[in-house]
Amino acid sequence: MNTKEMFSKNRVTFDLKAKDKMGAIDELIALLSADGKVSDPERFKEAVLKREEEFSTGIGMGIAIPHGKSDAVLEPAMVFGKSKVGVDYESMDDKPAHLFFLIAVPVESSDLHLRALSEISRNLMHSDVREKLMKAESFEEFISVFGS
Amino acid sequence: MKLVAVTSCPTGIAHTYMAAEALQIAAKEMGHEIKVETQGSVGAENVITEKDLREADAVILAVDTNVDKDRFQGMPMVEASVKDAIKDAKGLITKALEAKPAAADVREYQSSGAEKKKTGVYKHLMTGVSFMIPFVVAGGLLIAFSFAFGIHAADEEGTLAWALMEIGGSAFGLMVPILAGYIAYSIADRPGIVPGMVGGMIANTVQSGFLGGLIAGFIAGYTVFLLKKAIRLPKSFEGLMPVLILPVLSTLFVGLVMIFILGGPVKSINDGLLSWLNGMSGTNKILLGGIIGVMMAADMGGPINKAAYAFGAATIAQGQPSEVMAAVMAAGMVPPLAIALSTVIAKNKYTQEERQAGKVNWALGASFITEGAIPFAAADPIRVIPSLMAGSAVAGALSMIFSATLAVPHGGIFVLPIPNAVGNLPMYMVAIAAGSVVGGLLLTVLKKKVS
Repeated sequence: MNTKEMFSKNRVTFDLKAKDKMGAIDELIALLSADGKVSDPERFKEAVLKREEEFSTGIGMGIAIPHGKSDAVLEPAMVFGKSKVGVDYESMDDKPAHLFFLIAVPVESSDLHLRALSEISRNLMHSDVREKLMKAESFEEFISVFGS
Repeated sequence: MKLVAVTSCPTGIAHTYMAAEALQIAAKEMGHEIKVETQGSVGAENVITEKDLREADAVILAVDTNVDKDRFQGMPMVEASVKDAIKDAKGLITKALEAKPAAADVREYQSSGAEKKKTGVYKHLMTGVSFMIPFVVAGGLLIAFSFAFGIHAADEEGTLAWALMEIGGSAFGLMVPILAGYIAYSIADRPGIVPGMVGGMIANTVQSGFLGGLIAGFIAGYTVFLLKKAIRLPKSFEGLMPVLILPVLSTLFVGLVMIFILGGPVKSINDGLLSWLNGMSGTNKILLGGIIGVMMAADMGGPINKAAYAFGAATIAQGQPSEVMAAVMAAGMVPPLAIALSTVIAKNKYTQEERQAGKVNWALGASFITEGAIPFAAADPIRVIPSLMAGSAVAGALSMIFSATLAVPHGGIFVLPIPNAVGNLPMYMVAIAAGSVVGGLLLTVLKKKVS
Protein backbone atom coordinates (compact mmCIF):
# COMPACT_ATOMS: atom_id res chain seq x y z
CA MET A 1 0.00 0.00 0.00
CA ASN A 2 1.44 3.39 -0.86
CA THR A 3 1.04 6.51 1.20
CA LYS A 4 -1.70 8.11 -0.89
CA GLU A 5 -3.83 4.99 -0.63
CA MET A 6 -3.93 5.47 3.13
CA PHE A 7 -6.04 8.59 2.75
CA SER A 8 -9.78 8.56 2.06
CA LYS A 9 -12.45 11.16 1.63
CA ASN A 10 -14.25 9.70 4.63
CA ARG A 11 -11.28 10.48 6.79
CA VAL A 12 -10.68 14.16 6.27
CA THR A 13 -12.00 17.22 7.98
CA PHE A 14 -11.26 20.77 6.98
CA ASP A 15 -12.68 22.28 10.11
CA LEU A 16 -11.34 20.56 13.20
CA LYS A 17 -13.41 21.66 16.15
CA ALA A 18 -11.03 20.69 18.95
CA LYS A 19 -9.49 23.38 21.14
CA ASP A 20 -6.70 21.32 22.73
CA LYS A 21 -4.32 18.44 22.05
CA MET A 22 -6.45 15.67 23.60
CA GLY A 23 -9.53 16.98 21.87
CA ALA A 24 -7.76 16.96 18.53
CA ILE A 25 -6.57 13.40 18.97
CA ASP A 26 -10.07 12.32 20.02
CA GLU A 27 -11.67 14.00 17.05
CA LEU A 28 -9.25 12.37 14.63
CA ILE A 29 -9.70 8.93 16.17
CA ALA A 30 -13.48 9.35 15.98
CA LEU A 31 -13.24 9.83 12.23
CA LEU A 32 -11.06 6.73 11.98
CA SER A 33 -13.54 4.73 14.00
CA ALA A 34 -16.61 5.97 12.10
CA ASP A 35 -14.96 4.70 8.96
CA GLY A 36 -14.57 1.25 10.48
CA LYS A 37 -10.78 1.15 10.53
CA VAL A 38 -10.34 0.40 14.24
CA SER A 39 -12.02 -2.38 16.19
CA ASP A 40 -11.43 -0.67 19.52
CA PRO A 41 -10.88 3.10 19.46
CA GLU A 42 -9.98 3.23 23.17
CA ARG A 43 -7.18 0.74 22.75
CA PHE A 44 -5.90 2.54 19.68
CA LYS A 45 -5.97 5.81 21.58
CA GLU A 46 -3.78 4.21 24.27
CA ALA A 47 -1.22 3.28 21.63
CA VAL A 48 -1.24 6.82 20.26
CA LEU A 49 -0.84 8.39 23.69
CA LYS A 50 1.95 5.99 24.64
CA ARG A 51 3.87 7.04 21.55
CA GLU A 52 3.11 10.68 22.37
CA GLU A 53 4.74 10.24 25.76
CA GLU A 54 8.02 9.21 24.21
CA PHE A 55 8.34 12.25 22.02
CA SER A 56 5.83 14.93 21.09
CA THR A 57 4.44 14.53 17.59
CA GLY A 58 4.00 18.27 17.36
CA ILE A 59 6.94 18.61 15.02
CA GLY A 60 6.64 22.32 14.48
CA MET A 61 5.74 24.50 11.51
CA GLY A 62 2.06 24.01 12.34
CA ILE A 63 2.15 20.26 11.79
CA ALA A 64 1.23 17.35 14.06
CA ILE A 65 1.70 13.68 13.24
CA PRO A 66 0.18 11.56 16.02
CA HIS A 67 0.44 7.88 15.20
CA GLY A 68 -0.10 4.45 16.68
CA LYS A 69 0.60 0.83 15.91
CA SER A 70 -1.98 -1.45 17.49
CA ASP A 71 -3.81 -4.72 17.04
CA ALA A 72 -7.00 -2.69 17.34
CA VAL A 73 -6.30 -1.33 13.87
CA LEU A 74 -7.93 -3.33 11.09
CA GLU A 75 -6.28 -1.72 8.11
CA PRO A 76 -3.55 0.90 7.64
CA ALA A 77 -5.18 4.30 7.36
CA MET A 78 -4.53 7.99 7.78
CA VAL A 79 -6.81 10.79 8.89
CA PHE A 80 -6.22 14.37 7.93
CA GLY A 81 -7.60 17.26 9.96
CA LYS A 82 -7.21 20.97 9.43
CA SER A 83 -7.79 23.43 12.25
CA LYS A 84 -8.31 26.98 11.06
CA VAL A 85 -7.62 28.60 14.42
CA GLY A 86 -4.86 26.29 15.52
CA VAL A 87 -4.49 24.02 18.56
CA ASP A 88 -1.86 24.19 21.29
CA TYR A 89 -0.14 20.88 20.75
CA GLU A 90 2.97 21.26 22.96
CA SER A 91 4.90 21.48 19.71
CA MET A 92 8.64 21.79 19.48
CA ASP A 93 8.53 25.34 18.24
CA ASP A 94 5.81 26.28 20.74
CA LYS A 95 3.51 27.33 17.91
CA PRO A 96 -0.02 26.01 17.45
CA ALA A 97 -0.69 23.11 15.10
CA HIS A 98 -3.01 23.51 12.14
CA LEU A 99 -2.40 20.44 10.00
CA PHE A 100 -2.94 17.04 11.60
CA PHE A 101 -2.08 13.65 10.17
CA LEU A 102 -3.22 10.73 12.30
CA ILE A 103 -1.59 7.48 11.17
CA ALA A 104 -2.97 4.10 12.23
CA VAL A 105 -1.31 0.82 11.35
CA PRO A 106 -1.91 -2.77 12.45
CA VAL A 107 0.80 -4.57 14.37
CA GLU A 108 2.05 -6.66 11.46
CA SER A 109 2.59 -3.68 9.23
CA SER A 110 6.34 -3.43 9.94
CA ASP A 111 7.64 -0.15 8.57
CA LEU A 112 4.60 1.02 6.70
CA HIS A 113 3.80 3.84 9.07
CA LEU A 114 7.41 4.93 9.17
CA ARG A 115 7.53 5.17 5.39
CA ALA A 116 4.27 7.10 5.37
CA LEU A 117 5.67 9.46 7.99
CA SER A 118 8.88 9.99 6.14
CA GLU A 119 7.05 10.79 2.91
CA ILE A 120 4.64 13.16 4.57
CA SER A 121 7.34 14.95 6.51
CA ARG A 122 9.40 15.40 3.39
CA ASN A 123 6.43 16.86 1.57
CA LEU A 124 5.57 19.16 4.42
CA MET A 125 9.00 20.76 4.35
CA HIS A 126 7.87 22.60 1.24
CA SER A 127 6.13 25.81 2.25
CA ASP A 128 3.91 25.72 -0.83
CA VAL A 129 2.64 22.29 0.21
CA ARG A 130 1.72 23.61 3.63
CA GLU A 131 0.02 26.64 2.11
CA LYS A 132 -2.04 24.52 -0.29
CA LEU A 133 -3.10 22.25 2.55
CA MET A 134 -4.19 25.23 4.64
CA LYS A 135 -6.33 26.42 1.72
CA ALA A 136 -7.82 23.02 0.86
CA GLU A 137 -11.52 22.64 1.48
CA SER A 138 -12.29 19.41 -0.30
CA PHE A 139 -10.75 15.98 -0.54
CA GLU A 140 -9.89 16.50 -4.20
CA GLU A 141 -7.94 19.65 -3.40
CA PHE A 142 -6.24 17.86 -0.50
CA ILE A 143 -5.14 14.79 -2.38
CA SER A 144 -3.91 16.80 -5.36
CA VAL A 145 -1.29 18.38 -3.09
CA PHE A 146 0.39 15.01 -2.84
CA GLY A 147 0.88 14.75 -6.54
CA SER A 148 -0.40 12.17 -8.97
CA MET B 1 29.59 22.12 -6.06
CA LYS B 2 28.70 18.70 -4.76
CA LEU B 3 27.90 17.89 -1.18
CA VAL B 4 27.12 14.81 0.87
CA ALA B 5 25.22 14.86 4.11
CA VAL B 6 23.94 12.56 6.83
CA THR B 7 20.85 13.30 8.90
CA SER B 8 19.98 11.32 11.97
CA CYS B 9 17.63 11.96 14.84
CA PRO B 10 17.32 9.53 17.78
CA THR B 11 13.64 8.91 17.26
CA GLY B 12 14.28 8.68 13.55
CA ILE B 13 10.73 9.49 12.60
CA ALA B 14 10.09 12.84 11.06
CA HIS B 15 12.97 15.17 11.75
CA THR B 16 15.54 13.01 10.05
CA TYR B 17 13.62 13.29 6.78
CA MET B 18 12.62 16.90 7.26
CA ALA B 19 16.27 17.84 7.69
CA ALA B 20 17.16 15.82 4.59
CA GLU B 21 14.45 17.51 2.61
CA ALA B 22 15.47 20.94 3.87
CA LEU B 23 19.06 20.35 2.77
CA GLN B 24 17.91 19.14 -0.63
CA ILE B 25 15.64 22.12 -1.18
CA ALA B 26 18.35 24.54 -0.10
CA ALA B 27 21.03 22.94 -2.26
CA LYS B 28 18.76 23.09 -5.29
CA GLU B 29 18.04 26.76 -4.72
CA MET B 30 21.75 27.48 -4.37
CA GLY B 31 22.60 25.58 -7.54
CA HIS B 32 24.53 22.78 -5.83
CA GLU B 33 24.14 19.02 -5.86
CA ILE B 34 23.67 17.13 -2.64
CA LYS B 35 23.19 13.53 -1.61
CA VAL B 36 21.65 13.06 1.80
CA GLU B 37 21.88 9.78 3.66
CA THR B 38 19.15 9.42 6.27
CA GLN B 39 19.59 7.28 9.35
CA GLY B 40 16.14 6.84 10.72
CA SER B 41 14.11 4.12 12.40
CA VAL B 42 13.99 2.13 9.17
CA GLY B 43 17.77 2.09 9.05
CA ALA B 44 20.11 3.90 6.68
CA GLU B 45 18.60 4.98 3.37
CA ASN B 46 20.20 6.58 0.34
CA VAL B 47 23.58 5.47 1.63
CA ILE B 48 26.56 7.53 0.51
CA THR B 49 28.81 5.51 -1.78
CA GLU B 50 32.56 5.62 -2.35
CA LYS B 51 31.91 7.43 -5.61
CA ASP B 52 29.81 10.06 -3.86
CA LEU B 53 32.64 10.64 -1.38
CA ARG B 54 35.23 11.06 -4.08
CA GLU B 55 33.13 13.55 -6.01
CA ALA B 56 31.99 15.57 -3.02
CA ASP B 57 33.48 18.89 -2.02
CA ALA B 58 32.16 18.96 1.53
CA VAL B 59 30.12 17.00 4.06
CA ILE B 60 27.37 18.09 6.42
CA LEU B 61 26.50 16.03 9.47
CA ALA B 62 23.11 17.08 10.80
CA VAL B 63 22.91 14.50 13.53
CA ASP B 64 21.78 14.20 17.13
CA THR B 65 23.35 10.79 17.55
CA ASN B 66 26.85 9.54 17.06
CA VAL B 67 27.65 8.63 13.48
CA ASP B 68 30.89 7.15 12.24
CA LYS B 69 32.93 9.97 10.80
CA ASP B 70 35.73 7.79 9.49
CA ARG B 71 34.50 7.80 5.93
CA PHE B 72 34.66 11.60 5.83
CA GLN B 73 38.26 11.93 6.94
CA GLY B 74 40.00 14.79 5.27
CA MET B 75 36.87 16.42 3.89
CA PRO B 76 35.66 19.90 4.75
CA MET B 77 33.00 19.19 7.32
CA VAL B 78 30.32 20.92 9.31
CA GLU B 79 28.55 19.31 12.23
CA ALA B 80 25.23 20.54 13.53
CA SER B 81 22.03 19.27 15.07
CA VAL B 82 19.05 18.07 13.05
CA LYS B 83 17.11 21.14 14.13
CA ASP B 84 19.80 23.42 12.68
CA ALA B 85 19.39 21.78 9.29
CA ILE B 86 15.63 22.29 9.37
CA LYS B 87 15.94 25.92 10.42
CA ASP B 88 18.83 27.06 8.28
CA ALA B 89 19.88 24.53 5.67
CA LYS B 90 21.31 27.23 3.41
CA GLY B 91 23.55 28.48 6.21
CA LEU B 92 24.89 24.98 6.80
CA ILE B 93 25.66 24.49 3.12
CA THR B 94 27.50 27.79 2.95
CA LYS B 95 29.48 26.97 6.06
CA ALA B 96 30.38 23.53 4.73
CA LEU B 97 31.69 24.90 1.47
CA GLU B 98 33.82 27.43 3.34
CA ALA B 99 35.29 24.91 5.75
CA LYS B 100 38.96 24.15 5.28
CA PRO B 101 39.99 20.55 4.79
CA ALA B 102 42.66 19.25 7.18
CA ALA B 103 43.69 15.76 8.34
CA ALA B 104 41.60 15.77 11.46
CA ASP B 105 40.00 19.18 11.48
CA VAL B 106 36.33 19.39 12.25
CA ARG B 107 34.48 22.70 12.34
CA GLU B 108 31.52 22.94 14.63
CA TYR B 109 28.48 25.04 13.83
CA GLN B 110 27.62 26.36 17.27
CA SER B 111 23.88 26.65 17.56
CA SER B 112 23.87 27.30 21.26
CA GLY B 113 27.15 26.82 23.12
CA ALA B 114 25.87 25.61 26.47
CA GLU B 115 23.29 23.25 25.01
CA LYS B 116 25.85 21.62 22.75
CA LYS B 117 28.19 21.06 25.72
CA LYS B 118 25.51 19.24 27.66
CA THR B 119 24.51 16.99 24.81
CA GLY B 120 28.21 16.44 24.11
CA VAL B 121 29.08 15.02 27.53
CA TYR B 122 25.91 12.94 27.64
CA LYS B 123 26.57 11.60 24.14
CA HIS B 124 30.11 10.58 25.10
CA LEU B 125 28.94 8.87 28.28
CA MET B 126 26.17 6.99 26.49
CA THR B 127 28.54 5.82 23.78
CA GLY B 128 30.91 4.40 26.40
CA VAL B 129 28.09 2.84 28.38
CA SER B 130 26.40 1.23 25.41
CA PHE B 131 29.62 -0.55 24.44
CA MET B 132 30.17 -1.52 28.06
CA ILE B 133 26.83 -3.12 28.76
CA PRO B 134 27.38 -6.43 26.90
CA PHE B 135 30.64 -6.95 28.83
CA VAL B 136 28.86 -6.52 32.13
CA VAL B 137 26.00 -8.76 31.07
CA ALA B 138 28.15 -11.55 29.66
CA GLY B 139 30.71 -11.40 32.46
CA GLY B 140 28.13 -11.16 35.21
CA LEU B 141 25.98 -14.02 34.01
CA LEU B 142 28.93 -16.35 33.51
CA ILE B 143 30.20 -15.56 36.99
CA ALA B 144 26.72 -16.18 38.36
CA PHE B 145 26.64 -19.56 36.58
CA SER B 146 29.93 -20.36 38.23
CA PHE B 147 28.40 -19.60 41.63
CA ALA B 148 25.54 -21.93 40.82
CA PHE B 149 28.02 -24.76 41.19
CA GLY B 150 28.87 -23.58 44.66
CA ILE B 151 30.57 -20.42 45.78
CA HIS B 152 33.96 -22.06 46.15
CA ALA B 153 33.51 -24.34 43.15
CA ALA B 154 35.63 -22.06 41.02
CA ASP B 155 38.63 -22.55 43.28
CA GLU B 156 39.30 -25.93 41.71
CA GLU B 157 41.27 -25.34 38.53
CA GLY B 158 40.15 -27.24 35.48
CA THR B 159 36.51 -27.54 36.48
CA LEU B 160 33.68 -26.02 34.52
CA ALA B 161 32.93 -23.67 37.38
CA TRP B 162 36.50 -22.45 37.31
CA ALA B 163 36.37 -21.92 33.56
CA LEU B 164 33.13 -19.97 33.85
CA MET B 165 34.71 -17.75 36.47
CA GLU B 166 37.77 -17.20 34.27
CA ILE B 167 35.70 -16.31 31.24
CA GLY B 168 33.26 -14.12 33.13
CA GLY B 169 36.11 -12.53 35.02
CA SER B 170 37.88 -11.67 31.78
CA ALA B 171 34.79 -9.98 30.44
CA PHE B 172 34.49 -8.07 33.68
CA GLY B 173 38.11 -7.03 33.53
CA LEU B 174 37.42 -5.39 30.18
CA MET B 175 34.41 -3.44 31.32
CA VAL B 176 36.18 -0.33 32.56
CA PRO B 177 38.72 -0.11 29.70
CA ILE B 178 35.87 -0.39 27.21
CA LEU B 179 33.89 2.32 29.00
CA ALA B 180 36.87 4.63 29.03
CA GLY B 181 37.94 3.72 25.50
CA TYR B 182 34.60 4.42 23.91
CA ILE B 183 33.99 7.61 25.83
CA ALA B 184 37.29 8.79 24.36
CA TYR B 185 36.27 7.48 20.92
CA SER B 186 33.08 9.48 21.07
CA ILE B 187 35.04 12.63 21.85
CA ALA B 188 37.97 12.20 19.51
CA ASP B 189 37.18 9.40 17.07
CA ARG B 190 39.61 6.53 16.46
CA PRO B 191 42.70 8.16 17.95
CA GLY B 192 40.85 8.34 21.26
CA ILE B 193 40.60 4.59 21.62
CA VAL B 194 44.20 3.91 22.61
CA PRO B 195 44.59 6.42 25.45
CA GLY B 196 41.01 5.73 26.54
CA MET B 197 41.36 1.98 26.84
CA VAL B 198 44.83 2.15 28.37
CA GLY B 199 43.59 4.78 30.81
CA GLY B 200 40.74 2.46 31.71
CA MET B 201 43.10 -0.46 32.33
CA ILE B 202 45.17 1.72 34.62
CA ALA B 203 41.99 2.77 36.39
CA ASN B 204 41.61 -0.93 37.17
CA THR B 205 45.22 -1.25 38.30
CA VAL B 206 44.97 1.67 40.71
CA GLN B 207 41.65 0.27 41.86
CA SER B 208 39.67 3.37 41.12
CA GLY B 209 36.72 1.49 39.69
CA PHE B 210 34.40 2.73 37.01
CA LEU B 211 34.53 6.30 38.24
CA GLY B 212 38.25 6.23 37.55
CA GLY B 213 37.43 4.81 34.14
CA LEU B 214 35.02 7.68 33.44
CA ILE B 215 37.70 10.17 34.35
CA ALA B 216 40.25 8.36 32.19
CA GLY B 217 37.90 8.31 29.23
CA PHE B 218 37.16 12.01 29.32
CA ILE B 219 40.76 12.98 29.92
CA ALA B 220 41.88 10.74 27.06
CA GLY B 221 39.26 12.06 24.67
CA TYR B 222 39.85 15.72 25.33
CA THR B 223 43.63 15.26 25.35
CA VAL B 224 43.53 13.83 21.84
CA PHE B 225 41.06 16.50 20.79
CA LEU B 226 43.40 19.25 22.00
CA LEU B 227 46.52 17.59 20.62
CA LYS B 228 44.85 17.43 17.21
CA LYS B 229 44.20 21.14 17.36
CA ALA B 230 47.53 22.09 18.82
CA ILE B 231 49.88 20.08 16.64
CA ARG B 232 50.22 21.14 13.04
CA LEU B 233 52.62 19.14 10.92
CA PRO B 234 53.84 19.64 7.38
CA LYS B 235 51.75 17.64 4.93
CA SER B 236 54.32 14.89 4.44
CA PHE B 237 54.31 14.07 8.14
CA GLU B 238 50.55 14.23 8.62
CA GLY B 239 50.24 10.45 8.34
CA LEU B 240 52.30 10.07 11.51
CA MET B 241 49.66 11.78 13.58
CA PRO B 242 47.09 9.00 14.01
CA VAL B 243 49.66 6.21 13.97
CA LEU B 244 52.48 7.51 16.13
CA ILE B 245 52.19 10.96 17.61
CA LEU B 246 48.65 10.95 18.91
CA PRO B 247 48.74 7.45 20.44
CA VAL B 248 52.10 7.91 22.15
CA LEU B 249 51.61 11.41 23.51
CA SER B 250 48.02 10.96 24.60
CA THR B 251 48.54 7.57 26.19
CA LEU B 252 51.62 8.81 28.00
CA PHE B 253 49.77 11.81 29.35
CA VAL B 254 46.66 9.91 30.41
CA GLY B 255 48.73 7.12 31.94
CA LEU B 256 50.85 9.49 33.98
CA VAL B 257 47.81 11.37 35.20
CA MET B 258 46.05 8.17 36.21
CA ILE B 259 49.05 6.74 38.02
CA PHE B 260 50.49 9.78 39.73
CA ILE B 261 47.59 12.11 40.12
CA LEU B 262 44.72 9.71 40.60
CA GLY B 263 46.46 6.61 41.92
CA GLY B 264 47.79 8.14 45.13
CA PRO B 265 44.53 9.73 46.29
CA VAL B 266 42.56 6.61 45.39
CA LYS B 267 44.79 4.45 47.56
CA SER B 268 44.59 6.97 50.41
CA ILE B 269 40.82 7.00 50.25
CA ASN B 270 40.73 3.24 50.40
CA ASP B 271 43.24 2.92 53.24
CA GLY B 272 41.71 5.83 55.13
CA LEU B 273 38.19 4.47 54.94
CA LEU B 274 39.30 1.00 55.98
CA SER B 275 41.03 2.26 59.12
CA TRP B 276 38.10 4.54 59.87
CA LEU B 277 35.74 1.57 59.69
CA ASN B 278 38.05 -0.54 61.80
CA GLY B 279 38.17 2.19 64.40
CA MET B 280 34.43 2.15 64.72
CA SER B 281 34.17 -0.27 67.59
CA GLY B 282 31.18 0.44 69.76
CA THR B 283 29.32 2.51 67.18
CA ASN B 284 25.61 2.04 66.95
CA LYS B 285 25.43 -1.00 64.66
CA ILE B 286 22.41 0.27 62.76
CA LEU B 287 24.33 3.39 61.86
CA LEU B 288 27.24 1.22 60.81
CA GLY B 289 24.90 -0.81 58.61
CA GLY B 290 23.70 2.36 56.96
CA ILE B 291 27.24 3.59 56.42
CA ILE B 292 28.25 0.27 54.91
CA GLY B 293 25.29 0.54 52.59
CA VAL B 294 26.21 4.01 51.43
CA MET B 295 29.81 2.97 50.85
CA MET B 296 28.95 -0.18 48.92
CA ALA B 297 26.89 1.79 46.43
CA ALA B 298 28.99 4.93 46.23
CA ASP B 299 31.56 3.86 43.68
CA MET B 300 30.96 0.19 42.93
CA GLY B 301 34.34 -1.32 42.27
CA GLY B 302 36.19 1.78 43.43
CA PRO B 303 38.10 2.54 46.62
CA ILE B 304 35.07 3.25 48.80
CA ASN B 305 33.19 0.09 47.85
CA LYS B 306 36.35 -1.99 48.18
CA ALA B 307 37.07 -0.62 51.65
CA ALA B 308 33.60 -1.58 52.86
CA TYR B 309 33.91 -5.01 51.33
CA ALA B 310 37.36 -5.63 52.76
CA PHE B 311 36.10 -4.53 56.16
CA GLY B 312 33.29 -7.04 55.94
CA ALA B 313 35.42 -9.89 54.61
CA ALA B 314 37.91 -9.41 57.46
CA THR B 315 35.21 -10.05 60.03
CA ILE B 316 34.66 -13.60 58.76
CA ALA B 317 38.33 -14.42 58.46
CA GLN B 318 38.02 -17.20 61.01
CA GLY B 319 34.85 -18.52 59.38
CA GLN B 320 32.51 -17.20 62.06
CA PRO B 321 29.19 -15.60 61.15
CA SER B 322 29.28 -11.81 61.06
CA GLU B 323 26.62 -9.13 61.11
CA VAL B 324 28.91 -6.79 59.25
CA MET B 325 29.40 -9.21 56.37
CA ALA B 326 25.64 -9.71 56.16
CA ALA B 327 25.14 -5.98 55.86
CA VAL B 328 27.85 -5.78 53.19
CA MET B 329 26.30 -8.46 51.01
CA ALA B 330 22.77 -7.12 51.44
CA ALA B 331 23.98 -3.67 50.45
CA GLY B 332 25.82 -5.12 47.49
CA MET B 333 22.81 -6.97 46.16
CA VAL B 334 20.58 -3.92 46.23
CA PRO B 335 21.99 -1.79 43.39
CA PRO B 336 21.33 -4.25 40.55
CA LEU B 337 17.99 -5.30 42.04
CA ALA B 338 16.90 -1.69 42.45
CA ILE B 339 17.82 -1.01 38.86
CA ALA B 340 16.05 -4.10 37.58
CA LEU B 341 12.95 -2.99 39.45
CA SER B 342 13.12 0.54 38.11
CA THR B 343 13.58 -0.54 34.49
CA VAL B 344 10.40 -2.55 34.83
CA ILE B 345 8.27 0.13 36.50
CA ALA B 346 9.51 3.07 34.48
CA LYS B 347 10.20 1.73 31.01
CA ASN B 348 10.14 5.15 29.40
CA LYS B 349 13.09 6.36 31.44
CA TYR B 350 15.53 3.85 30.05
CA THR B 351 16.81 3.14 26.58
CA GLN B 352 16.11 -0.16 24.89
CA GLU B 353 19.60 -1.46 25.75
CA GLU B 354 19.26 -0.35 29.35
CA ARG B 355 15.97 -2.18 29.68
CA GLN B 356 17.54 -5.39 28.41
CA ALA B 357 20.48 -4.93 30.75
CA GLY B 358 17.92 -4.27 33.48
CA LYS B 359 16.44 -7.72 33.00
CA VAL B 360 19.87 -9.26 33.46
CA ASN B 361 20.32 -7.25 36.64
CA TRP B 362 17.75 -9.43 38.41
CA ALA B 363 20.17 -12.34 38.05
CA LEU B 364 23.23 -10.24 38.82
CA GLY B 365 21.72 -8.68 41.93
CA ALA B 366 20.58 -12.05 43.17
CA SER B 367 24.15 -13.31 42.79
CA PHE B 368 25.72 -10.34 44.64
CA ILE B 369 27.35 -9.11 41.45
CA THR B 370 27.04 -5.41 42.17
CA GLU B 371 28.80 -4.53 38.90
CA GLY B 372 25.52 -5.01 37.01
CA ALA B 373 24.58 -1.53 38.19
CA ILE B 374 27.72 0.13 36.88
CA PRO B 375 26.55 0.99 33.35
CA PHE B 376 23.51 2.70 34.78
CA ALA B 377 25.55 4.61 37.31
CA ALA B 378 28.02 5.64 34.62
CA ALA B 379 25.31 6.89 32.32
CA ASP B 380 23.62 9.08 34.91
CA PRO B 381 25.76 9.27 38.05
CA ILE B 382 24.08 12.24 39.71
CA ARG B 383 20.66 10.60 39.85
CA VAL B 384 21.55 6.95 40.03
CA ILE B 385 24.30 6.81 42.61
CA PRO B 386 22.43 8.63 45.41
CA SER B 387 19.34 6.50 44.82
CA LEU B 388 21.37 3.35 45.05
CA MET B 389 23.21 4.61 48.12
CA ALA B 390 19.89 5.22 49.84
CA GLY B 391 18.56 1.78 48.94
CA SER B 392 21.75 0.06 50.05
CA ALA B 393 21.81 2.05 53.27
CA VAL B 394 18.29 0.86 54.04
CA ALA B 395 19.26 -2.75 53.37
CA GLY B 396 22.44 -2.47 55.46
CA ALA B 397 20.68 -0.83 58.37
CA LEU B 398 17.77 -3.28 58.33
CA SER B 399 20.16 -6.21 58.12
CA MET B 400 21.76 -4.93 61.33
CA ILE B 401 18.41 -4.25 63.01
CA PHE B 402 17.36 -7.83 62.34
CA SER B 403 20.80 -9.05 63.49
CA ALA B 404 21.21 -11.08 60.33
CA THR B 405 24.58 -12.77 60.02
CA LEU B 406 26.59 -14.18 57.15
CA ALA B 407 29.52 -16.57 57.30
CA VAL B 408 30.57 -16.46 53.66
CA PRO B 409 32.01 -13.60 51.61
CA HIS B 410 30.03 -13.99 48.41
CA GLY B 411 27.37 -15.79 46.45
CA GLY B 412 24.06 -14.00 46.93
CA ILE B 413 21.04 -16.26 46.76
CA PHE B 414 23.25 -19.26 46.12
CA VAL B 415 24.42 -19.22 49.72
CA LEU B 416 21.06 -18.54 51.31
CA PRO B 417 20.01 -22.21 51.38
CA ILE B 418 23.37 -23.39 52.80
CA PRO B 419 22.74 -24.37 56.42
CA ASN B 420 24.35 -21.98 58.91
CA ALA B 421 25.60 -19.63 56.24
CA VAL B 422 22.94 -17.04 56.99
CA GLY B 423 21.50 -16.15 60.38
CA ASN B 424 17.86 -14.94 60.48
CA LEU B 425 17.36 -15.73 56.83
CA PRO B 426 13.73 -14.59 56.47
CA MET B 427 14.33 -11.10 57.82
CA TYR B 428 17.59 -10.87 55.90
CA MET B 429 15.65 -11.37 52.70
CA VAL B 430 13.20 -8.72 53.86
CA ALA B 431 16.10 -6.31 54.36
CA ILE B 432 17.38 -6.92 50.84
CA ALA B 433 13.92 -6.61 49.35
CA ALA B 434 13.17 -3.43 51.25
CA GLY B 435 16.43 -1.83 50.17
CA SER B 436 15.79 -2.79 46.56
CA VAL B 437 12.31 -1.32 46.63
CA VAL B 438 13.52 1.93 48.18
CA GLY B 439 16.35 2.21 45.69
CA GLY B 440 14.10 1.28 42.79
CA LEU B 441 11.44 3.83 43.72
CA LEU B 442 13.96 6.62 44.19
CA LEU B 443 15.49 5.86 40.82
CA THR B 444 12.09 5.85 39.18
CA VAL B 445 11.22 9.20 40.69
CA LEU B 446 14.51 10.88 39.92
CA LYS B 447 15.25 9.63 36.44
CA LYS B 448 14.07 11.67 33.49
CA LYS B 449 12.27 10.31 30.48
CA VAL B 450 14.50 9.30 27.61
CA SER B 451 14.47 12.11 25.08
